[in-house]
Amino acid sequence: MSTSRQKIAFLTTGATATFPALIEAAVSPSFLEALAAQQYTELAVQHGADGQQLYDRLASKAESAGSGVKVTGFALDKTGLGRHMRRAQSSNNAEEGVVIAHAGSGTILDAMRTGVPTIVVPNPSLLEDHQQELADELEAREYVVKGRVEDLAGALARAEKLRQRTREWPPVNSGTHKGLKGILDEEMGYLD
Amino acid sequence: MAYYIRALLITTFLLSLPLTYLLVWRLKYTLSLTRPKPIRHGRRNPREPTHLLIVLGSGGHTAEMIAMLERAVNSPSPQSAQSLDWRDFAHRTWVVGEDDELSATKAKEFEEMATSLTSQETLMRGKVRAYTDHGPGSYEIKKVPRARAIYQSPWTSPFSVLRCFLACWSILTHGVYPEDVSAMQHIPADTKGRDYPDIILVNGPATGTVMVLASVALRFFDYKGAATRFRMRTLYVESWARVKRLSLSGRILAHMVDRCLVQWPLLDAKKTGPGRAEFQGCFV
Repeated sequence: MSTSRQKIAFLTTGATATFPALIEAAVSPSFLEALAAQQYTELAVQHGADGQQLYDRLASKAESAGSGVKVTGFALDKTGLGRHMRRAQSSNNAEEGVVIAHAGSGTILDAMRTGVPTIVVPNPSLLEDHQQELADELEAREYVVKGRVEDLAGALARAEKLRQRTREWPPVNSGTHKGLKGILDEEMGYLD
Repeated sequence: MAYYIRALLITTFLLSLPLTYLLVWRLKYTLSLTRPKPIRHGRRNPREPTHLLIVLGSGGHTAEMIAMLERAVNSPSPQSAQSLDWRDFAHRTWVVGEDDELSATKAKEFEEMATSLTSQETLMRGKVRAYTDHGPGSYEIKKVPRARAIYQSPWTSPFSVLRCFLACWSILTHGVYPEDVSAMQHIPADTKGRDYPDIILVNGPATGTVMVLASVALRFFDYKGAATRFRMRTLYVESWARVKRLSLSGRILAHMVDRCLVQWPLLDAKKTGPGRAEFQGCFV
């Protein structure tokens, strides 16, 4: 038992907007049971400054429920979340875990670059609900799993299937286009 | 008395028609897709300093902008000719929201990383041709009041937009030297100040939209010769998060910017999008 490897689920709500619904759905006894069923050993939560109170309340309740999954949390890391996402990568003493993220474009890019299966959950309170389209498109292309706050456990199961199929970003054939440099050169009027 | 008032109203009405026509014509001319570009003599000519202005909105906008610029300077590899050499721009102005420390930090970190990359061209220049290179250039980070705060409805933003507009106008015109200087083929080395930005790069935040509007206003009124200098080429890159529909900024700017780039093929104007949208691949 004590020699079993770690398996970490990292959850991020982003640094700009609050997403309390996601924290509530994740730090709940039912989701922690789902994590335990998939042999996860830890749920690390980045909850943002606004989510501190909510997280503290939920975490103490979760501890008393006793699912066997350790719950840790922090508000922000100014140096970026790459380090925390990489904890979910496979290594000598850790099995590959999962990243659960709000569906912000910057966060999604960071998560895809780590290669860890990613569940993206759109935050519906933003302008024009703009996170839905990107989540749908990336799920259709099998880069990520789109999750809903109401059914995180289902998304977790689909992420296990995604583990075998993870695709790299950026796509390999993307070098055929002009790129930003090409556009800048055109606009500057360079003839070379 | 009533006669004079009526005459005044009729005259005003009749004059307003040609006036409106002139204003619309002037606007169409300002926003014309075929407005000329300046003639350049070489890529890093110290006598023709180049100036790039970038607007960093907060959160995802900053993340995408930095990701896009990082990919441009690093790919395929920093040494190849297809990667962007950051020093092609002698001066870079970064515009961030006044309370956005995170974006200011990201700008600074990017600058430090990008100017230390050495391209093959620079390696080959050596000491002999050093006089044709202006080195790592300079950058500054300027702050503006936000045009719209997160969750703020666009309908309540006129005051914040106006404050932002005035700040953007002052940034664009800051230290701009007069027309007769800019008309010279070679600017004297001791000239104080600089020209309008050559390119204004924005990727969606309201602050960026307001910056583009300020540059259009400058060109509309030909302030300090803005219309005849052929600078301030506006480059709008729609957010990667916009797959099926342009964002609000995109819808406003699609008909106004010199280049409007989308990152998903469905938004290309030839298919369904409005205005000048082009799909040239994904940049992030």
